[in-house]
Amino acid sequence: MRISEVVDTTALEALNAWDDDDVAGVYISDMVSDIITGAQAGNVLVTLQTHKNLIAAANLVDVAMVVFVRDKRPADDVLELADKAGIPLFVSADDTWTYAVKLYELGMR
Amino acid sequence: MSTCDHRWSMTDIRSGYLVVEGCYHCGARSSFFSTEPVAPVDEYREGDHFWEYRGSYQAVSFNLVCEKCGQKVDLSDMAGLMLSTCTDPQCTVGALAASQPPGTTIYVALCYDSSHASGHCVSDAGITALNEYFNQRLRSGRRRIVVVPCSMCDDLDRCRGIVLADTGLTEL
Repeated sequence: MRISEVVDTTALEALNAWDDDDVAGVYISDMVSDIITGAQAGNVLVTLQTHKNLIAAANLVDVAMVVFVRDKRPADDVLELADKAGIPLFVSADDTWTYAVKLYELGMR
Repeated sequence: MSTCDHRWSMTDIRSGYLVVEGCYHCGARSSFFSTEPVAPVDEYREGDHFWEYRGSYQAVSFNLVCEKCGQKVDLSDMAGLMLSTCTDPQCTVGALAASQPPGTTIYVALCYDSSHASGHCVSDAGITALNEYFNQRLRSGRRRIVVVPCSMCDDLDRCRGIVLADTGLTEL
């Protein structure tokens, strides 16, 4: 599956520049200590957290994209760090559960 | 020396708290990893030091094991990882970052003795395995991770970076 398919099908708003890429699997977490031990490269990372630590963890495990749920939006310095790391950031108005169901219905496991 | 082309994975993953203490007698700082349900906040004396609680962060500890040969690398001397944002050309880490190609990110492996008074830091074997592990996980050659020991920082107190610990959960 591609990032563009996830964006179009689940109505995501892009927060920074992004290039289309493959995605594989989903990881949902709000703790960076959990992300670095549980997330896999290429995952869609779904989270409520919008701070810099999240980007530092997402970069370390090489997630394909980050989706902030419940319309959470990071500060400019977080966007700047994500741009530097090349991590596409998106926002969804859904809560975590509703968004997770959308990804499941899209065929993501 | 091992001839195995190691394929690392995490093992012995433990969730807990990174507890930071300071000595109000001499100003020294120390930290330790606790798996207790609540981070310990006790004050106590240890030799010439009078340690008091300075803060705690939810964190994780782990070791690395090779899936091929079973070699295990002990990372109990690592308190955490920090994404370096150092741009100081006078600092060894800052200079290293400036010399890297685009797509490279420097992470500093933090030991428990940030003053390095003991002369110890994260082991060389640990640093080597961390570099191999995190780069093996990457999807392609677009990105590269470089892990260095915190002893490489010229002044850890002034070092700029983002520590991978859960410090912002109350800011949801």
